[in-house]
Amino acid sequence: MIKIENLYKVYKNGKLELEALKNINITIEDEEFIAIMGPSGSGKSTFMNILGCLDRPTKGLYELDGEEVGNLGDDELATIRNRKIGFVFQSFNLIPKLDAFKNVELPMIYAGLPAEERKQKALKALDRVGLGERIHHKPNELSGGQKQRVAIARALVNEPSVLFADEPTGNLDSKSSNEIMGIFQQLNNEGVTIVMVTHELDIAEHTKRMIVCKDGEIIEDALVEDRRIIEAIAEKDVEKENDVVEEIVEAGETE
Amino acid sequence: MNIVESVKVALSAILGNKMRSLLTMLGIIIGISSVITVVAIGEGSQKMIDKEFEQFGAGKAYMYTNWSEEVMDSDMFTKGDLEAVQSQFGDELKAVMPGVGGNGNINLRKKKLDVNLLVANEKYKDIAKLELLDGRFLIKDDITSGRNVGVINKKAAMDIFGRSNVVGETLDINLENKMLSLTLVGVYEDPKSNLSALGGGGDRASVYIPYTTMMNFSSIETFSGMEIVFEDGVDIQGTKDKIITLVERRHESVGENKYVLATAEEELGSINKITGIITMVIGAIAAISLLVGGIGVMNIMFVSVTERTREIGIRKAIGAKRKDILLQFLVESVIVSGIGGIIGTILGIGFSSLISVFIKIPPSVSLSTIAVAWLFSAGVGIFFGIYPANKASKLDPIEALRYE
Repeated sequence: MIKIENLYKVYKNGKLELEALKNINITIEDEEFIAIMGPSGSGKSTFMNILGCLDRPTKGLYELDGEEVGNLGDDELATIRNRKIGFVFQSFNLIPKLDAFKNVELPMIYAGLPAEERKQKALKALDRVGLGERIHHKPNELSGGQKQRVAIARALVNEPSVLFADEPTGNLDSKSSNEIMGIFQQLNNEGVTIVMVTHELDIAEHTKRMIVCKDGEIIEDALVEDRRIIEAIAEKDVEKENDVVEEIVEAGETE
Repeated sequence: MNIVESVKVALSAILGNKMRSLLTMLGIIIGISSVITVVAIGEGSQKMIDKEFEQFGAGKAYMYTNWSEEVMDSDMFTKGDLEAVQSQFGDELKAVMPGVGGNGNINLRKKKLDVNLLVANEKYKDIAKLELLDGRFLIKDDITSGRNVGVINKKAAMDIFGRSNVVGETLDINLENKMLSLTLVGVYEDPKSNLSALGGGGDRASVYIPYTTMMNFSSIETFSGMEIVFEDGVDIQGTKDKIITLVERRHESVGENKYVLATAEEELGSINKITGIITMVIGAIAAISLLVGGIGVMNIMFVSVTERTREIGIRKAIGAKRKDILLQFLVESVIVSGIGGIIGTILGIGFSSLISVFIKIPPSVSLSTIAVAWLFSAGVGIFFGIYPANKASKLDPIEALRYE
């Protein structure tokens, strides 16, 4: 479970102060599947980095599984990232020299697991994302969809409390995107909490809850199934996919 | 992450860039091999000098008039001095002889052959550790009577007579424009000495003759040096002072510091000091190349860190701590330097053996030298690796992930 209260992120550049996140309040329960949307500059990436414990908030509360993690030191954050968080990136971020299996094994090496346990868990995780066969291929021998599956397996292998994904389908064609979203849905059905950033509405539609950011604030937070956001967008009859996010924002503002 | 994993990661990084790793190692290899070579030859020569001393120098001393003082003719040693020292210290000394050897030559067919005339007493066979092949060595009667007899080395016998059993033969030596006619009474084996081999002494014709013979032949009344050989186990320092005092009294110059008695032990000490300093200086110059090699390692480690910024970001994002990253790069630089050190050590041993073929000094590479060299190269790896590794470990994961 994630609890965020009055969270701010301020970037200082000389005398210039930029509030990337303003007064964020949100609670994410276990087994939720959330899409964070918003135009570029809306603060969604900053928010994702803080959620993923790659960055610290300037002030405010960030509680992960009942533990305050907003003000931890570098190494403590590393441990949180290792044990409690799985992170999937738009650009996959696999280590090119290592094959799929070794990439998945890596978080367990940092967790200090013995080799035999690492092997079993890595094979299981790869199997879970449907990559049981190509485990000894290096990233450059895999397709985009396969790379992202490896990345998901790597994110899952230490059984984190929550899986964060930053534009996980951003570098994929629509077929692979749908496959990856299928995997996410399946994982969510199995009980994995997933929070993802996307700017594509049809991707966000695979989730259960949508949060829309603009100018560092959450301006919309609704369940996908009540279709409030979707309908709001549909009413505007958007033609271009790239404008969707802007439309969501406008939809949020009209309410 | 434990050390085994760090080593695996480091090895894969090193093997992934074979050419670069090898070139990086080259600096360390050159540094370590030159240090090892210098130290091996330095230690080798030191050992050789020690051994030579043990064999030929133990107990030997030379007394001479101190040239830094005003020394007059009346201060020169006399036969009387010789006899006085002999009678008073006969039990403590193996030999007391004037330092009056000379170089003569003999007419051999159309050439002249130089002959080294060495003065001796009856105990000199043991002092010089000579191995007699034929005949006998000088006996006491030869000394007291000043007989014209000599003991020649084997090679000279072969050169002059074409055979080694030359006892009874006569040898005419041109010395100081006169002719010294010697009856050969013995032949000794050519000394197997590295030092004399260095000076070419092993090949020279040498003849031992009674010192009295030499003094008679050259009508020597006074002389500037006196060869003294102490008995084994004698308090050399104490006896030395007594001998000086005795000679000083005889010349009424007590306390005037006109005589010096240098023992081989002291000579050895100062020689060792000099060779030690030379070894150290050359070694230090060689060590500079090691320093340059170390800077090369640091340079490449910086390149490696920059190249792998993104990888570092990924590793940090999935849970690598600062020390994991630090260790990864540190182990890499230590392995590069360590392997360089091992190769350098092997090459150093090879080089010193090769050089010793030419200068005839057996190289001495002690285990401690190897251990020090290797530890030093690993130390270079740590010292020059820590800065780049620390830089890597401090990278911000978000920045690092953004790095292209």
